[in-house]
Amino acid sequence: MVSVRYEKVTKRYDDGTEAVKNLDLEVADGEFLVLLGPSGCGKSTTLRMLAGLEDISEGDIRIDNARINDLPPGARGLGMVFQSYALYPHMNIEENLSFGLKRMKGEEKIGVEEIKSRVDNMAKMLGLSEELTKRPKELSGGQRQRVALGRALIKRPKVLLMDEPLSNLDAELRHQMRGEIRRLHEELGCTTIYVTHDQIEAMTLADRIAILDKGELQQHCPPMEAYRNPANEFVEGFLVKHLNDIKETADSLFKD
Amino acid sequence: MSGERAMRDWYAPLEIYTLSSWLRAAFIVNLFLLSFDFLRGEGLVLSLLGILMLGLLVNTLPDGSASWRRDVSLLLSGGIIAIGVLSVLSEPIGFVLWMESWLIVPGAISLYWISSPHVSRWNREEMELDRIERGLARNNEYSSSYQRIGKHVILAHFAFIVLLPVLWIIDISLSPGNALGGSFADSFTTEHFSKILNGDQFWIWMTNSLIVSIGTTIAGLALAVPAAYAFSRYKFAGRDQAMFSFLLVQMFPGIIIIVPYFMVMKTLGLLNSHLGLILAYSVTALPLCVWMLKGFFDTVPRELEESALLDGCSRFEIFTRIILPLSLPAIAVTALFSFLAAWNEFLLALTFNTSNDMYTLPVGLASMISATGQSWGDFAAASLLVSLPVVILFVLFQKFLVEGLSAGGVKG
Repeated sequence: MVSVRYEKVTKRYDDGTEAVKNLDLEVADGEFLVLLGPSGCGKSTTLRMLAGLEDISEGDIRIDNARINDLPPGARGLGMVFQSYALYPHMNIEENLSFGLKRMKGEEKIGVEEIKSRVDNMAKMLGLSEELTKRPKELSGGQRQRVALGRALIKRPKVLLMDEPLSNLDAELRHQMRGEIRRLHEELGCTTIYVTHDQIEAMTLADRIAILDKGELQQHCPPMEAYRNPANEFVEGFLVKHLNDIKETADSLFKD
Repeated sequence: MSGERAMRDWYAPLEIYTLSSWLRAAFIVNLFLLSFDFLRGEGLVLSLLGILMLGLLVNTLPDGSASWRRDVSLLLSGGIIAIGVLSVLSEPIGFVLWMESWLIVPGAISLYWISSPHVSRWNREEMELDRIERGLARNNEYSSSYQRIGKHVILAHFAFIVLLPVLWIIDISLSPGNALGGSFADSFTTEHFSKILNGDQFWIWMTNSLIVSIGTTIAGLALAVPAAYAFSRYKFAGRDQAMFSFLLVQMFPGIIIIVPYFMVMKTLGLLNSHLGLILAYSVTALPLCVWMLKGFFDTVPRELEESALLDGCSRFEIFTRIILPLSLPAIAVTALFSFLAAWNEFLLALTFNTSNDMYTLPVGLASMISATGQSWGDFAAASLLVSLPVVILFVLFQKFLVEGLSAGGVKG
């Protein structure tokens, strides 16, 4: 059972601005949670606090009931996919994938052969077997994003974090990768937290969505419920109205 | 019909196209050469006249309708040649010959091309359509290579001007005797080189220079790399002030700190030692190195480090496994700069290390030219030998240099 719980978490910067205010949120085992909101709403900060890339000003974050506030990022058992892929440019794909495995410590330490078989399996699963000896810059955008995904998954993380992973891709690829991410999630059943500002992505990927605005949680429920029963005006405007606009545009296009 | 009209209007023979760009270039080069005339104090009027006529010629090149233009251009070309010849005759030395060829040759080419029957027919609008068509095809085919010839002639001249001092030094080092003058490549000897290479002094100086330069490079980098990384990644009190104070130190002319430096070194007992110079050079090179490296580290995305953090790296591992391998080109360039700075430095070396055994190469070189005698031949040979390691370094580091200097320019 892997669950993540935010308990009254606040992020306050040195200049006093509060990026996240008193956030209570829990993610169930195997759930795909999407953090949705306009830019500057605190959704990335929420994710980065869990990853350990930002300090937590107040409150606790728990993974499986263990408080992880003070654990170093590498020890939290998380995998993360960044918007810019953040592949190590000086290593080939194989080294990129195995880099994290080689750094595992203590009981989790993994042998050379195990590392190799995991890399091979991951490459096969993501269709990257031919590219293992290439450098990241020789790959296309979609392939890079897949490597980034593989690098996060290969450590068998307790929670997979994704920070706007598709924003750098073109529309066609984005659509394709969206399907692939959902397929991987169903195959691996890994608890996932996904940050995006794209309403369509949120609606298609999520088991539940958490809508944030100005650092405060607006609504936390399955996507269709948010669409049918928006909790307040913000959700109504940001989600419902936006989706209806898209629908109207599409309808008017295909009317004739 | 309009197609034919357009062809006639747009067509100009290849010669005219080429001439107009070559003549412009010659005009500009002549403007530069004018400064030589000015410095020599002679031939100024003739050159000015030539340049004026070149400028006129560019603007009166035949345009296919007004036939007077052809006559005027022919006249001007002849005039330009005449002026060139006149000034060569008035002072027949090699240098002037080279200069005036920038009038004579363009003049001759334009005289030859403009008087060619092809251009005359075009100029009188007597050209048949099919010849115009062929002419257009010819323009298409050859114009870029003609332009290239012009470019390379000019670039070769500039390269020659830059290389002239080097060629001169090579000539002196290979000529017998110790005089500066003499004509070029008249006799050949390796006596200066063998004298320098077989003497002990040169090797002692070379050793000193190598120890000091390599020591400076290592010490400087060992300080600059971590410092630059900290400046780039951490926020701490006084960071911006510290960066600025680095620049401030660079703004003072080096000579004003020589005396305080000397006192410090004397107190520390570091006069006539390698360590003293290494310390002084590292301090001088540090600001530049830190600024360069910080600039590079700033371009390494933070997400790479965050990713490594999640992969379980410690801060130090991130530095050694991610940042250092990625910044090798920048570090190589920085190393080269601090090596060169130490290798070429003269003032501090002269002040601190007064014993002959502790001279570095620049000081040693200077000591060869003294009040008691100037052995220019030996001096030239030694200078060439001194610059040799630098040339080798540059060749070795060339790939890195280009990468490092353009680093961060392109998102990878």
